[in-house]
Amino acid sequence: MKQKKAQWPWHLLTVLVLVGLAGALYYATSLMSYEWRWNRVPQYFVYQAEESQRASDISTVSELVRKGDVAEVTLRNDEGNEQHLTVAENSLQVAKGDDVAEGDVVGVTRHWAAGPLLWGLWTTLWLSVVSGVLGLLIGLATGLCRLSNNPTLRDLSTIYVELVRGTPLLVQIFIFYFFIGTVLNLSREFAGIAALSLFTGAYVAEIIRAGVQSIARGQNEAARSLGLSAGQSMRHVVLPQAFKRVLPPLAGQFISLVKDTSLVSVIAITELLKSGREVITTSFSPFEILFCVAGLYLLINLPLSKIASRLERRLAQSD
Amino acid sequence: MIEVRDLVKVFDTRGHVVRAVDNVTTQVAKGEVLVVIGPSGSGKSTFLRCLNGLEEFDSGSVSIDGLQLADPKTDVNAYRREVGMVFQHFNLFPHMTVLENLCLAQKVVRKRGKKEREAKALALLEKVGIAQKANEFPSRLSGGQQQRVAIARALAMEPKVMLFDEPTSALDPEMVGEVLDVMKTLALEGMTMVCVTHEMGFAREVADRVLFFDHGKLLEDAAPAQFFDAPKDPRAQAFLRQVL
Repeated sequence: MKQKKAQWPWHLLTVLVLVGLAGALYYATSLMSYEWRWNRVPQYFVYQAEESQRASDISTVSELVRKGDVAEVTLRNDEGNEQHLTVAENSLQVAKGDDVAEGDVVGVTRHWAAGPLLWGLWTTLWLSVVSGVLGLLIGLATGLCRLSNNPTLRDLSTIYVELVRGTPLLVQIFIFYFFIGTVLNLSREFAGIAALSLFTGAYVAEIIRAGVQSIARGQNEAARSLGLSAGQSMRHVVLPQAFKRVLPPLAGQFISLVKDTSLVSVIAITELLKSGREVITTSFSPFEILFCVAGLYLLINLPLSKIASRLERRLAQSD
Repeated sequence: MIEVRDLVKVFDTRGHVVRAVDNVTTQVAKGEVLVVIGPSGSGKSTFLRCLNGLEEFDSGSVSIDGLQLADPKTDVNAYRREVGMVFQHFNLFPHMTVLENLCLAQKVVRKRGKKEREAKALALLEKVGIAQKANEFPSRLSGGQQQRVAIARALAMEPKVMLFDEPTSALDPEMVGEVLDVMKTLALEGMTMVCVTHEMGFAREVADRVLFFDHGKLLEDAAPAQFFDAPKDPRAQAFLRQVL
């Protein structure tokens, strides 16, 4: 008979192991006397941008009204023309009756702005989405070509897949940027997306091919015997079943893609990793920033695998 | 209605040549029920699959109502619309409900409207006795029910001929009857049928003619009474001694 054993001691052990690992990490960094300065990190996500407000002419401060934390300054020049400025109260540089020259700073206005890490996250996101969609389309077409009866289509798709899978992505990115990019005068973003989507396409093609081949031959025969054409049978009968089967490897491929976008930093696209490295040069807090960058990649990928397993469960309702 | 002339199908797997269908000539009249029997590997299934082009034959000709299957000008999809097929392993589309299984080809191939195709599908499900399962997925049905859905799916295209490829071989014994009953009803309604089967009772009761195959050759073509009581071919005699 199957015995029901309590699971919680094991979960507790898991937590203890994790805490132990974290403790060991902390101890290791304390040995190299690293100073943790997490308080420096948030400003690289969002910060208060300051914009100087300047006098446009030689003039006198004719009026100054303080309203809470803003101050309204009115400047009047010799011709009697007035200039109204609203600045942050605590940045005010002038008093009533002061003379100001053209270009003098009266004060600053402040507003929230996205920092480099947030911009990097955004760049990584759109690079991933665009290359992912293109990669899926290329992969679908190539995968079907691999199964085609036409020898040319079959050969070309095989060559493409073997070339792309047999060379490192980093090399492909360099080739796209320095060679093809120069010849065709492509922008770095275009070269990066092209390299990423062609790379993903080759792997997706193999996933699709395996998925289609895993569907029993009888399914296609049944569809064809009902009078469906080869294309209709693929579209309505084989691909929907294959898609369900290849969803887990496909999700894995897209998660890989998100991580691989970090490689386009070598052609100076400021995505997440490159922004992180730029921030490190100004903050002198490499560990904190690198942990944040890793955390942001997780922030994209964990929901992605969650969505994939959800979809998988929804498609499993016919089993 | 069906004309088969000098049909040859050769399988060549790495130099190992098998003449699966060897020079078969026969014809099926409208409304006739043909039962094809023979030992396994005798080419009877391959013969059946040649009739709707699932298997490309090497020489000879197959035609239905004068439409030549091997003619490059023949639209094979249009040809297959007129020929329904039922498989040993049902081959229902597992990602669709029973109703969607029956509607797919009607929609994609016959371009019927939603109301029309669903009414047709429900009427056919009623006829094979599983109308209450219309919205279930095939995996929830028993083998016999799945095979009856498969028959209804083929009928939904209003074919002129129905081909059955060992429709009861993959079923539990208790479910064979329900499928054979549906087939008998069809035969009585005047459907032209070619059935590959091991159900000798069905052959004796329903068939107009029995074809006996061995090693790809059509060895005997006779009315069931004559075939079962006094087979002429010695291979047929030996086969019947084994199975009866």
